[in-house]
Amino acid sequence: MKRMNETDRMDALLARRAADPAEADAASAARVLANLANVPLPRQRRGSLWPSVLLDFDFAPAWPRVAALAGAAALGCALGFFGPAARLTESPGWTVAAAQAADSDFGAVAEPELLTGVRP
Amino acid sequence: MGDPSDEDLMRRVAAGDERAFALLAPRHAARAIGLARRLTGNSADAEEIVQEALLRVWINAPRWRAQAQFRTWFYRIVVNLCLNRRRRAPFSPLTEAGDPPDPSLDPAARLERDETDRQVAAAVANLPARQRLVIMLTYEEGLSNADAAAVLDSSVSGVEALLVRAKRGLREKLRSVLDGNDGGE
Repeated sequence: MKRMNETDRMDALLARRAADPAEADAASAARVLANLANVPLPRQRRGSLWPSVLLDFDFAPAWPRVAALAGAAALGCALGFFGPAARLTESPGWTVAAAQAADSDFGAVAEPELLTGVRP
Repeated sequence: MGDPSDEDLMRRVAAGDERAFALLAPRHAARAIGLARRLTGNSADAEEIVQEALLRVWINAPRWRAQAQFRTWFYRIVVNLCLNRRRRAPFSPLTEAGDPPDPSLDPAARLERDETDRQVAAAVANLPARQRLVIMLTYEEGLSNADAAAVLDSSVSGVEALLVRAKRGLREKLRSVLDGNDGGE
């Protein structure tokens, strides 16, 4: 209860500072506006030839995009490790095929030359 | 037919309408100077910053997109310029809050109120920069948490966390004021 009263009091103290602009600020504003009125305004920066859709594109990562990227990566890992392709490599037919594939011409390259016995 | 909104005026400013700019600038200049003065602790700096901010509004108006309120965008420019200025020169807290005296109070009450306000201003001035900014934007400028988040380029939850930390710090610094204060009214 005491904490709540303290909070209310502090809110009141802070809100009390939120008065209308001080007279000094109004005078400063008048000076600033007079300065602006007395000089020609500079040329405005117009859009370039780039389409606005490219200029408006936000390259900064946002949480939804990071979450989507992480989700896609996790899905890719799950499919890679446990998906249908992983089961295919564990099947007997795949093992035979892999062994046949390993018995390729590459083995002959490492064999010694028949006449001289020199290894390449 | 009421006054055109800030956003309507900005669309005209974006088309190069100087009269629209002359209508738009006075709406926000005084409050922006108050904010800049409290942030920099210096009235002359505040004037320079707001003049620069208004010029940037004019120059970049064609690029402005009506995705946020004009005031939020303008305050963001002012706050960024203040922070840049503070990086060059360290912040010096104001010795006085700068609020006009309230003629409805008797002299003793006014003195007490001024002293309380001075302590509150000093406590706010001694907060870390972002906490001080959040207090100024939400309490003194009356921005919603969402608008303050847009000004600070932060999230609403980030602003709320800053507010909690700022108020915790203020509560510690203003312990004597809060214990002896009856609300100030």
